[in-house]
Amino acid sequence: MQLATTKFTKNDLAKYPFLKETTEYVKKLDLKIEDLANPEFAKILERAEERVEEAILYALVSRKLRNEDIETLSFPTATMLAVATENSFIKKRYALAEAKQAYNDMKLEPKEKILAIAQNFKWKLTVNNDAEIPYEFTLHFTDYLRNTTHLREKKWKLVNRLLSKGNVYLTRNEAARLLSEEVRKHIEKRLEVKELPKLPQKIMETAEKIKKLSVEKIGKAEMEGFPKTIVQTAFPPCIQALYQAFSSGRHLSHVGRFALTSFLINIGMPSEKVIELFKNFSDYNERMTRYQVEHIAGERGSRTRYIPPKCETLKTHGVCTSPDELCKILHHPLAYYRRKVKTAKTDFQN
Amino acid sequence: MKPISFVQRMFREYYMRDYSLSSSLLMIDRREFGFALFEGWMLRHKSFKHSDELKEFLQSSAPSDAYCSCAYYENPEADMDKKGWLGADLIFDIDADHVPTSCKKVHDTWVCGSCGFGGKGGVPEKCPVCGSEKFNVKTWPCEVCLNSARAETVKLLDMLMEDFGFSKSEVYVFFSGHRGYHVHVEGEAVKTLDAVARKEIVDYISGLGFDAVFHGVSRKSWRRTHVLSSPSLNNLGWSRRIAKGIYDFILNAEKEDLTSIGLKRNVVETILKNKDTILKSWKGSWTLGAVKGVGFETWRRIILSCAQQQSAKIDTVVTTDIHRLIRLADTLHGKTGLKKAEFPASAIDDFDPFKSAVAFKKGVVTVFVSDAPEFRLGDEVFGPYKERKVDLPTAAAVLLICKGRAEVVG
Repeated sequence: MQLATTKFTKNDLAKYPFLKETTEYVKKLDLKIEDLANPEFAKILERAEERVEEAILYALVSRKLRNEDIETLSFPTATMLAVATENSFIKKRYALAEAKQAYNDMKLEPKEKILAIAQNFKWKLTVNNDAEIPYEFTLHFTDYLRNTTHLREKKWKLVNRLLSKGNVYLTRNEAARLLSEEVRKHIEKRLEVKELPKLPQKIMETAEKIKKLSVEKIGKAEMEGFPKTIVQTAFPPCIQALYQAFSSGRHLSHVGRFALTSFLINIGMPSEKVIELFKNFSDYNERMTRYQVEHIAGERGSRTRYIPPKCETLKTHGVCTSPDELCKILHHPLAYYRRKVKTAKTDFQN
Repeated sequence: MKPISFVQRMFREYYMRDYSLSSSLLMIDRREFGFALFEGWMLRHKSFKHSDELKEFLQSSAPSDAYCSCAYYENPEADMDKKGWLGADLIFDIDADHVPTSCKKVHDTWVCGSCGFGGKGGVPEKCPVCGSEKFNVKTWPCEVCLNSARAETVKLLDMLMEDFGFSKSEVYVFFSGHRGYHVHVEGEAVKTLDAVARKEIVDYISGLGFDAVFHGVSRKSWRRTHVLSSPSLNNLGWSRRIAKGIYDFILNAEKEDLTSIGLKRNVVETILKNKDTILKSWKGSWTLGAVKGVGFETWRRIILSCAQQQSAKIDTVVTTDIHRLIRLADTLHGKTGLKKAEFPASAIDDFDPFKSAVAFKKGVVTVFVSDAPEFRLGDEVFGPYKERKVDLPTAAAVLLICKGRAEVVG
């Protein structure tokens, strides 16, 4: 038996301002961008600013549901502010904060409301009525995968779930958690604006204020580059094994070759040098090797430089063979390298 | 007459007379096609408006191998980064090469490309004589190898239908024409899954990242550890598979099986001594902690090895590649002259690749066979042959020539 979906109340719309229903409600209020500069709407802009600030400071956005219309309207305004900052960190942080708050709210909702929110995102979520299976919901595995593949906890791996007839069983908390992932993606997408539209002076000023705050709070992003010299002792075990096999001319799988090549390129080895290494192979073909290495380095074709696959992918393809202690806490061969080079340096200085 | 041109002539005849396109190829005009030609090169980025156009191409070029993308594109003929990916079927490849069998020692041979030294069985990393790594490998599509690939396919199909809930009308099963099986899943649900989601499906099927803790085995109350807390859970997903695996494992466990998964000698002895007690208690009340000395970590190991046995050995790269070209159904395999043959999933136990995939049913050809093991095609058994002239039915002759083991006597 499928529960009938409940209608959203005005309070819900304020609590979950990312819903389609909210957008429609806002449309009916017919508020224009220019209006926001007017003093009568000052409260909305004020609340919108607060939303983004809270996101930067606490990675959460409080709910102020006493005045529902202000709360509801402050959401699209806040997204506009985030867009106006043109700062990818602020945008990501804001989407995350709204999603986290939505999770806190959703997990306390009755099943019907969770179903209704899921329906808003076109999820195939249903209530589990089999009393012998201790889960409240089932979700089609395609919706499940779209929202879990980047989650690292082992319990989200599909192989560790109860999957039957295409459906993954979920507790209420888990359903709310995955819905919040959908919310995060949804808001991030709304914030993806290629070209900034012309916005009122007032909005731009507020955006500047927010940018300043984020610099104070987070500090200038430490975009740490890789060291110039290559430190072979800092290679993760998988790359070390590939490198050794490679230098002695042993056969490497396709994934193995890609992982090693992209790793070496990314830590700063010039492509000439990498091509040189390939000469050890019996099936060496200069033209082909050059083409492939330069492709990975982004010197040809699509001009994107490829990065090596993350640890999980390397595991799938059997490239990860003997992970060590450091591997347990990191998830990418480049992260491993960066960390190890750093600790090696401080060891040396001490 | 050169042997290659004889084979190509036979391939062309097949495409003229017997070939018809399988109905399971949806949206033919959105796919990329690729062909390996007998002339020695590869044609890619081809596309066809409809199946007749494809058929005409096959008849005029008579390729040694024909492939088609699992992906759908806006412009199938454009360069890779301009094709406009619209989606892709979910495909699986199970190859005997990935499943170790003992018979490979009998029928697979390798010869070093530099010094000519050779041997039987799996190919070594380096030539033991000169250290070169280039080998000429001769494999053989034997029944034992194919049966082990079939067993893996059965496990895969069970997961696709029972766990992932695909219906029979979405799942197509094929003999690859050489040493394995292909499974294609077509349908809206899977079409737009990205490579990462497909990787997660691969991990599910191969049991990677599996942890017993999430399947009802908990450390806290290991004395009353429940593998499955109720009979209804018993019938679902990996939990069911593990339940079945534990029973089979303990029932058939020998000393070596237990030590090979890293159990200590005293634990191994305890398990062997108390097999009956363990099984009885497990079957009676789903309790694992019946015997003292066989604790949580031991069970975790046993269950992990059960998961390995219950997983299906698929080619991980094929499934995660959303642009993959895969052999086109009903076309001939250049290494055997057998066709990629579709059959219903429910018929997998009775499917006979050496009968159903035979493309050439008429004629006799005289060939000189350098070396061939005993083999069967249809109901007839041939060989073994060594350095001799023999009259063979066309299919058998083509197989030997394609495998590089015979030449036409002209």
